[in-house]
Amino acid sequence: MIGGNALARRLVAVAGISGLVFLIVPLLIVVPMSFSSARALAFPPPGLSLRWYEAFFGDPRWMSAMATSASVAFVSSLLALLLGGLAAYGLRRAPIRGEGVIEANFVAPLVVPTIIVAVALYLGFAKIGLLGTYVGLVLAHTVLSVPLVIMVLTVAIRGFDVRIEQVAWSLGASRAYTIIKVVLPNLAPNVFAAWIFAFISSFDEVIVTNFIAGTWDTVPKRMFNELILEINPTITAVATLLIAFTMLALAAVAVLLQRTGKLRPTML
Amino acid sequence: MPSRTALGFISPLLLLMIVVFDAPILYMLGLGFWSKQGGFTAEHYGNLLEATVYLKVLGSTLRVSLIATIANVLIGYPLAYWMRSLSPRAQLMAVALVITPFWVSILVRTYAWIVVLGNGGIVNSALINLGLIDEPIRFLYNELGVTIGMANVLLPFLVLPLFAAMLRVDNRVLQAAASLGAPARTIFWKVFFPLTVPALLAGALLVFILSLGFYVTPAILGGNRVSMISNLLDKLINEIPRWEQASAISTLLLVVALAIFAAYRYFDRRVQS
Repeated sequence: MIGGNALARRLVAVAGISGLVFLIVPLLIVVPMSFSSARALAFPPPGLSLRWYEAFFGDPRWMSAMATSASVAFVSSLLALLLGGLAAYGLRRAPIRGEGVIEANFVAPLVVPTIIVAVALYLGFAKIGLLGTYVGLVLAHTVLSVPLVIMVLTVAIRGFDVRIEQVAWSLGASRAYTIIKVVLPNLAPNVFAAWIFAFISSFDEVIVTNFIAGTWDTVPKRMFNELILEINPTITAVATLLIAFTMLALAAVAVLLQRTGKLRPTML
Repeated sequence: MPSRTALGFISPLLLLMIVVFDAPILYMLGLGFWSKQGGFTAEHYGNLLEATVYLKVLGSTLRVSLIATIANVLIGYPLAYWMRSLSPRAQLMAVALVITPFWVSILVRTYAWIVVLGNGGIVNSALINLGLIDEPIRFLYNELGVTIGMANVLLPFLVLPLFAAMLRVDNRVLQAAASLGAPARTIFWKVFFPLTVPALLAGALLVFILSLGFYVTPAILGGNRVSMISNLLDKLINEIPRWEQASAISTLLLVVALAIFAAYRYFDRRVQS
């Protein structure tokens, strides 16, 4: 800030801090609530207990939702990483006709409102018999994760000097060998970051899942449907576990990217 | 490498996208013009203008989205401006605090507002204890609650790019204005603010597009009383199956979203250049 009197500066600080508090107040509320001993949603909690965690871990429906969420997120994120990684490499290493359109197509699931993707996939999957199937769920989550993988990896591959690969080729390494032994080790932190982003995006996905999953229950889908019916404090325990999981994953990404000097304050 | 090899790298993903994304969207576009008796019809679009329920949902979607976007601008601009004035270390902390909620499940963030805004919630008990109100204010299960929740969920989408754009404003430009005798207020309104307007507009358009398709927050905080386009689509698909009607509404929403996205790209390019 240039110049400005003390009052103006203080006003900006108050507005800024209020904005930040508004932003993180949900997270600050949910965590202590999850350790509450009371059934009612009183804040601050009247006493502390782990009963809502016990309720969560003791409920086979939550546990089976957890297993589905984890397996769908694991398979779909790896699939997105594999296909997205190959495509990002192809896009950055050769001029292709219609490159812009192809890349736009890969990023489109992020731009098109998710509710439209949900409607379209519901109708499309109903037509080809994938509605309510595990395969359909995994494929849908893969498509939704692809934009994140493409965005992270196209930037990383562009920043990787192609001459290093050319050296490997000139020494007789095959293309596949070069990718595995030269490109991948160098981009490992970015690949890992892309994988984490894809995993989180699948693990948190609720809209498309709610439309197409049929009888399959994931953690977010179950949370959503419980929230609409009644307020059950078990949700606070699930929410706190999700926050902890997300923070750990983001911290891992931050540490990895910092090591490669690629951490920027503007990065999402 | 030759283009033919590159195409080999790209085609597996391209095939997946065509089958699981492009084809369903095209099928949906077609279904919106498909008559139950078979053949082409525009009746599903005609219905949108005739049935008042659709117009009502459209109206409340636009109203909530617009107010949530304006709230985002009013909260987000001062926040980004304040972050710019911090030390680099404090900036990184502030950015981390903005990014974390962005990655935390939208369900968690929406749920918390029930605790904060409910009749026995923090805000109401505080106001009652302070003697400012006698009856709890009804924040939940109306448009007010939905708007607050959406503004909260969307704020990082506005703040992060806006903050990045503000960092790019050269301090020497501001110093030059100061050295020519401009008072702080003039420097802000005549120099700094105009330089950040494209980023602000781009961020606001992005928030507006996302608001139009919002589903989770209105469903939870609106409690069946606030219907936005997405909740209407949910009903038309999952409760009273009227797939053709749902397709027509989705198509319309898609066209509007893509048009606004084009405007967003225009302003975003001006920010980058």
